[in-house]
Amino acid sequence: MPQDVALVDLLDRLLGTGVVLAGDVVVSLAGVDLVRIRLQALLMTVRGPEEEL
Amino acid sequence: MPDRPDSGERTGRYLYAIGRGIGGEGLAGTPGLRERPLRVVEHLGLVAVVSDVDLDEFGEDGLRRNLEDLHWLEDVARTHDSVVRAATAVGPTAPLRLATVCFDDDQVRARVDQWHDPLVRALDRVDGRVEFSVKAYASEPESAGQATPAATGPGAGAAYLQRRKEETLRRERVGQDAARDAEELYAVLAESAVAGRRLQPQDPRLTGHQGTMVLNAAYLVDAGEPFADTAAQALSRWPELRVEVNGPWPPYSFATLEEQ
Repeated sequence: MPQDVALVDLLDRLLGTGVVLAGDVVVSLAGVDLVRIRLQALLMTVRGPEEEL
Repeated sequence: MPDRPDSGERTGRYLYAIGRGIGGEGLAGTPGLRERPLRVVEHLGLVAVVSDVDLDEFGEDGLRRNLEDLHWLEDVARTHDSVVRAATAVGPTAPLRLATVCFDDDQVRARVDQWHDPLVRALDRVDGRVEFSVKAYASEPESAGQATPAATGPGAGAAYLQRRKEETLRRERVGQDAARDAEELYAVLAESAVAGRRLQPQDPRLTGHQGTMVLNAAYLVDAGEPFADTAAQALSRWPELRVEVNGPWPPYSFATLEEQ
């Protein structure tokens, strides 16, 4: 099944929920930033980089 | 951030999940990121599933750069998911978010310390259970006649505006109906589940689906329960909605720890 899972569904879960990351190396990557990065990264492939969010 | 000697490769520990009763042998057939072997770090009766990662790639600067690269993101997300699925098959598992990286095993143990009580509660909650996803889309309302103004004649403009207004009201009504249907669907399916959560609806630009997503839900279900069949039977009550049921997932949406 894993390859059939839509990436967007997977990222919903891997970025939006689960144990929060609270420190060490990735301390500055708070949830909001990750969500924004996700949307930008996905939109770039769907629509091309010229369109901004 | 502690200073590290620059000699040699700088490695960190990527955390996939923390669980109970997960022995390293149960994970032997599953590779970690970049084909590195998985290891377990045991602490306080819990088991963290980790593998070594290069900090040039997974350190703060590397992550900042790489998270913008969709292929990198997808590769890491799918590997993370496959490790979590393997761990879930061995024992109750609380998946961690993507890209949780510690410097060494001591820091992994410090995390387990810090999260211990909520972790135990999360593991109790998801033990023997799986997650299903249910997404519902409202059909695009069909336009009631072409809203183009007649070319000539007195009052044509006013009639056009009137039709536009009616069309807008009709669309609003359809949207409200779909939202109410989604609410009911969510509640009815929750009766067949241990717990439910509503996630943010996904942007159609990301999913490529037609229609508005009115429900993006996750349900926690006892393993072996025929949730998909139950859902399929219930769905006939909402012919206006297009519904997708997927699963079983590892219990990603129900092992959340609040930020400490």
